[in-house]
Amino acid sequence: MAKCTAFDRRDFLKHATCLTAACGGLYPSLALAAQAYEGHPLAPKRAHFEPKARQMIFIFLTGGFSHVDTFDPKPKLAADHGKVVPAESLREVTREPLLASPFQFGRHGQSGLPISELFPHLAGVADELCVIRTLHTDILEHFQATLAMHTGSSTVPMPSIGCWLSYGLGTFNANLPSYMVLAEHLPYAGAQVWDNNFLPPYHQGVRLVPGNRPIQDLASPALSVTLADLEQIMLRDVNELHARARAGDLSLPARMDSFDVARGMMREAPEIFDLSRETASTLESYGLAGGDSTSFAWQCLIARRLSERGVRVLELIDTGSHDNWDAHGDMQQHRAKAARVDKAIAALLVDLKRRGLLDQTLVAICTEFGRTPWSDNGKGRNHWANAFTCLLAGAGVKGGIAYGQTDDYGANIAADPVHVHDYHATILHLLGIDHKQLTYRYAGRDFRLTDVAGRVVHEILT
Amino acid sequence: MPKPAALLPLLLVCLQSVGQAQSPADEDWFELNIRPILAGTCLNCHAEDGEAGLRADSREALIEGGQSGPAIVPGEPDKSLLIRAILHTGEPKMPPDERLDDESITAFVAWVKAGAPWPDHEPPLGAETASPLAHWAFQPVERIAPPADTSGWSDHPIDRFIMAALADQDLAPLRPADKRTLIRRATFDLIGLPPTRDEVAAFLADESPAAFDQVVERLLASPHYGERWGRHWMDVVRYADTAGDNADYPVPEARLYRDYIIDSFNADKPYDQFVQEQLAGDILAGSTPDGEGPPESYAERVVATGFVALSRRYATAPFELWHLSIEDTIETTGRAFLGLTLRCARCHDHKFDPVTIDDYYALYGFFASTQYPYAGSEELMSKGFPRSHFVPLTAPEQARPAIESHQAAVRALEDQIAQLEKQEPVDRPKVDALKAELRILRRPGLPAGVSGAYAVTEGQPHDVPLQVRGEPRDAGPVVPRGVPGFLSKGEKLEIPSGASGRLQLARWLTRPDHPLTARVMVNRVWQHHFGKGIVATPSNFGVRGAPPTHPELLDWLAAAFVDGGWHVKDLHRLIMSSKTYQLGGGDDEAAAARDPDNRLYWRYDRRRLEAEAIRDAMLAAAGNLDLARPGEHPFPPIESWSWTQHSPFKAVYESNHRGVYLMTQRIQRHPFLALFDGPDTNYSTDVRTQATVPLQALYMMNNPFVTRQAEGFARRLLAESADAAGRIDLACQTAWGRPARPAEIERGLQYIDQYAAELARQGTAADQIEPAAWTSYARILLTSNEFVYLD
Repeated sequence: MAKCTAFDRRDFLKHATCLTAACGGLYPSLALAAQAYEGHPLAPKRAHFEPKARQMIFIFLTGGFSHVDTFDPKPKLAADHGKVVPAESLREVTREPLLASPFQFGRHGQSGLPISELFPHLAGVADELCVIRTLHTDILEHFQATLAMHTGSSTVPMPSIGCWLSYGLGTFNANLPSYMVLAEHLPYAGAQVWDNNFLPPYHQGVRLVPGNRPIQDLASPALSVTLADLEQIMLRDVNELHARARAGDLSLPARMDSFDVARGMMREAPEIFDLSRETASTLESYGLAGGDSTSFAWQCLIARRLSERGVRVLELIDTGSHDNWDAHGDMQQHRAKAARVDKAIAALLVDLKRRGLLDQTLVAICTEFGRTPWSDNGKGRNHWANAFTCLLAGAGVKGGIAYGQTDDYGANIAADPVHVHDYHATILHLLGIDHKQLTYRYAGRDFRLTDVAGRVVHEILT
Repeated sequence: MPKPAALLPLLLVCLQSVGQAQSPADEDWFELNIRPILAGTCLNCHAEDGEAGLRADSREALIEGGQSGPAIVPGEPDKSLLIRAILHTGEPKMPPDERLDDESITAFVAWVKAGAPWPDHEPPLGAETASPLAHWAFQPVERIAPPADTSGWSDHPIDRFIMAALADQDLAPLRPADKRTLIRRATFDLIGLPPTRDEVAAFLADESPAAFDQVVERLLASPHYGERWGRHWMDVVRYADTAGDNADYPVPEARLYRDYIIDSFNADKPYDQFVQEQLAGDILAGSTPDGEGPPESYAERVVATGFVALSRRYATAPFELWHLSIEDTIETTGRAFLGLTLRCARCHDHKFDPVTIDDYYALYGFFASTQYPYAGSEELMSKGFPRSHFVPLTAPEQARPAIESHQAAVRALEDQIAQLEKQEPVDRPKVDALKAELRILRRPGLPAGVSGAYAVTEGQPHDVPLQVRGEPRDAGPVVPRGVPGFLSKGEKLEIPSGASGRLQLARWLTRPDHPLTARVMVNRVWQHHFGKGIVATPSNFGVRGAPPTHPELLDWLAAAFVDGGWHVKDLHRLIMSSKTYQLGGGDDEAAAARDPDNRLYWRYDRRRLEAEAIRDAMLAAAGNLDLARPGEHPFPPIESWSWTQHSPFKAVYESNHRGVYLMTQRIQRHPFLALFDGPDTNYSTDVRTQATVPLQALYMMNNPFVTRQAEGFARRLLAESADAAGRIDLACQTAWGRPARPAEIERGLQYIDQYAAELARQGTAADQIEPAAWTSYARILLTSNEFVYLD
């Protein structure tokens, strides 16, 4: 039996859109949502404590980008280029020589944050970025590491961080899912990375597939809106007659409600994907050409639009399980991957800031694992889990800093390790959640995103 | 791999996590945070005659304290010696050797601050080891006579148990369901399909007292019965058609195990035999000296061990992270047959149930001594590991000639390649061509003409060392194979030398006096008739599982099940002939106020149909359902397989066969089943969720599958009746199993007219208007609440 009570989401939507238009601001209207659908599993919930961020945009770069070629410069690696330092590799001890980064680093922003030439646009927003150089994860295989970065578990599928946030916090817009994932291609581990698993299915990530039909089953087969409306009214009549004889069973009106929400999505979604009202300069800043709906720039712009409409968690996945950052053969492969995301992510940060949304939005930029300081196949690098870089930006995070220290080659952590669980704990903390308190009882046990670990990295918080 | 097991302790938040709703005043707080430390650490020295005169085995003892005074002052951590001691700030320091972690210390402080609440029904901690053993589910099934029928309601044994509990709470059962409701309920329950119009009419016309019994018998004899009940079992055994490795390799042979399950239910195979075959069918089939099977059962019994073979695979290399695959076997065995979650015990003794880490590795030995098949993974491409250890469906002596000649062909080719590679210069093109040929030859795992199953056989029998904290590289003492000590009462299994012991395990599980096996199965059967089990956690009968609502009824059913020869169909007969099963689903405010969850069965609970039933019923209404059993899934030929973690296997095969036959993957969930709460193919599912989410509504309104069924349904209506009112009646009978009411006909006619007029206004071609209008009407019925809910 569904536990939710009936509420009129259509009214809520009307409120929300009117107020958004009237106030220009967003959150006053979103606050109404809390009252409008109190009791629903997705209604906004109070955080454990005052949150720094209300929403999250989680940018996942597939394949494992190299830390020593992007945000963690290693002069000694350049100096010792060609030297052999034995270390553990994928399945055996390697005798591969050290490989200097082929990319130039520069210092950027007032903070002087080092960023390589791969990211000229991110360099322009260096003072917004908090670079964490000492991430580490448990397994250096794509599938397992991807799962770990999303669920905290590298083996058994578990709920994704987006689902946990949805479960813990609800969402602001009843017409849209609480957790939406923009991914043209499936990452490693496929849909398991946004799966609700044992959490109630309301919290499942909903994938938008960049292109002509981002949401499945959004278009009505009816020949016109009038016909679709007629059909919906008739369905409601039929269901009401059925429910009248079965008073007291809330699952029946809840299911009737779900059709109204679905119609809400059908109405609202097309407008989200209609970029005609975006100014030319906005489009240009993202690097978005007219008619394009598959670039990462499109994903970033849509993410901003969904964010404005109150979706709690957005995830952007840049590529799929092939043709990604997995540069075994040649580090130059990173150029195309970086070019795909650099300008768009920078533009998203600037755009959010300009609209006053960056104060309320946490942007996480992360990957599966790092890459070896020594070479793989001569010019490439292999997977590396002992140390790698992820970023945070936006609400509650110190900008323009690099946290943690790796050794001279970037092979191991010298100081201030941040496990994936710690990264997750910090993200949850910024959204007002104590990661140890956010649990769900399943199969007789309490589960949480951070398993039995996790430390909030207070040093990087404002 | 550098740290294959560094991922452990693998998310088993058995202990440290703290529930969201919990406060230190909650019992859970004590159970999760305080008790384990008191019992595991403090009691080592502070039990009876404790050090410094202090006992730490009860609240009273802690308050009374020892030589240094009270250990705790409830509500005042600052004044509590215990807190000072565990903080290690002065003397004494407790525990003396190592400070507790911060989290534990915080938990103790919070607990003392909250008044040091101690669950009062618990005996002192010293007696604690005995208490889980006294748990109801670990006691022998009691032989209880049903209470007397004092109300005159029903003398059916089930009803007498139900009535006694209702009367106890001053509740009374509602009226029985009407005949239409009953036949729809029974038909979906037993075969997962709606009753046909003729079946409904025949039942209504049959006024004999045996009319409903005959319906039940007809349904039990239907071949579709096994498809329905087999699907329930497939949930429990985490059935899927792929292996679960990173590239999710297909297992075309898995369907044989699926069909085995369906056929076993149809044949009403005794459940004890069903259990034994799934764990040890290969041995029973006669493939080992211990074997004894008749030849005609050989293939079936081999196939049955798909239960073990289907254990989830991990990562990319053959048998990589193998301890996790065996964990899946153990966990699924525990959940499916024993109703116990065993995997907690991989890293440490179970926190709640009396399952020890030794028990876990005693079970581990059975499966470590078993040869599992390998379905392929991307290593196949890169390192040339062919599929292997598929088990021939014929006895070894029959399969041997073909296998030997195949092996000879492989060897010949290998030799030829080796020869060519020795020559200078090497004829590269020829070597490459031969290598490709070799790969294709080896890839299927068995030679053409020898059918095989994804099944297991006996491996090298051996006991395994305990893995300290679940870490395979950290070997502890060797644990002899055996079954959990608390259930076997110390009795050892007699495992013949050379055997894995799976057969002995299976026989132990199915002993008539086993306290769990029969209880767990009768509860599952009850669960699928009533939408909930007598034990609400059907795969967890442990200390943390839900207690039974009707313990005596459960025992009575379990005893009847075993005494009658473990026949599941007899359970259906028994349950469905009760008045409890035949109750109406109405509302009663007074009863709802007292027992809102209907735990006592004063009415029959309405429930939503499962994913497969919704889909099958739509196909049936449209006349599109293909009731035959399909053959193999249309996987690409094995020779062409080259999936990798970068490009994993991923497919959805359209089909008009029943939902139970849909190809389901582990990594990639089937989109329809995932949307409508289908089972998790990575983990044994006991209860499916019943969520109502807008994406389901989008699917119902807009998905082409639904549109196709609506069109088919509309075509049938148009073909079968010339008059509109007649069509509406026909539609209601087909979709809902009841005739249309006059008001519904009126509203339906009005709708068709309105819709047609709008179509005409939009300029729709005249000959398209009628089909389009009726398709819309058909879709409304197929997506209505009355269609997807069962009264």
